[in-house]
Amino acid sequence: MVKVYSFEGCPWCVKVKNYLKARGVEYEVHDIELNAEDAAECQRISGDLTVPVTTIDGKNYVLGFDKKKIDELLASA
Amino acid sequence: MGVYDFTAKMKNGAEKSLADYKGKVLLIVNTASKCGFTPQFAELQKLYDDYKEKGLEILGFPCNQFAGQDPGTNEEVQQFCKLNYGVTFTIFAKGDVRGENAQPLFKYLTAQKKFAGFDMNHPVAKPLLDALQKNFPEYLEGDGIKWNFTKFLIDRNGEVVARFEPTTTPAAIAGDIEKLL
Repeated sequence: MVKVYSFEGCPWCVKVKNYLKARGVEYEVHDIELNAEDAAECQRISGDLTVPVTTIDGKNYVLGFDKKKIDELLASA
Repeated sequence: MGVYDFTAKMKNGAEKSLADYKGKVLLIVNTASKCGFTPQFAELQKLYDDYKEKGLEILGFPCNQFAGQDPGTNEEVQQFCKLNYGVTFTIFAKGDVRGENAQPLFKYLTAQKKFAGFDMNHPVAKPLLDALQKNFPEYLEGDGIKWNFTKFLIDRNGEVVARFEPTTTPAAIAGDIEKLL
């Protein structure tokens, strides 16, 4: 399952979610502002509390709204 | 009526009384609520790191009334956002800072310290003025907040001692803060 770490009011997070929707990719939203566990996980994955972070396996991830890199991440899964 | 008579809404929805900050030097700032290139956050954090031990508190009030019209830079926009903007000083809930629905605190602050013009030597001043004239000419009238990162300096007694426009960088007001600490 694709996971998107995000928080409300982050326009790039919205763009990532809309892009995944447009591609027909199912994803889970993890709000790092509302959920301390999600924040800790986001920090573990990327080393920072910066979003959006898109990941499938919790190892490889894409920071920000970067369509090309998101495509590559999805293709690698 | 003074600063300590006001409350401000925190991110969790609770109201915080500014009387809790009695005896502190306060820097009250309306911040940009959007993400991207906002260099003043880093400078504000530096002020906070340098002076919090001596009694400085910085209170940030995110507002999206000036969103989407960033006149300031040609820097590439960062396509990500940092939780709490990467700062450790207090960020309150998002709200209006100008106009009818402005938070009472900002109505008070702008009545105490009036708009005295931008520092036209600052590189952003000219594009900012142009953007305001083009998009929000009404913002230029009166003493309301003109743009993100207007700063109000409050002394330890709650007196509003100075107002700095977005064209004055946080680093440039370090001396004014030191005088009050």
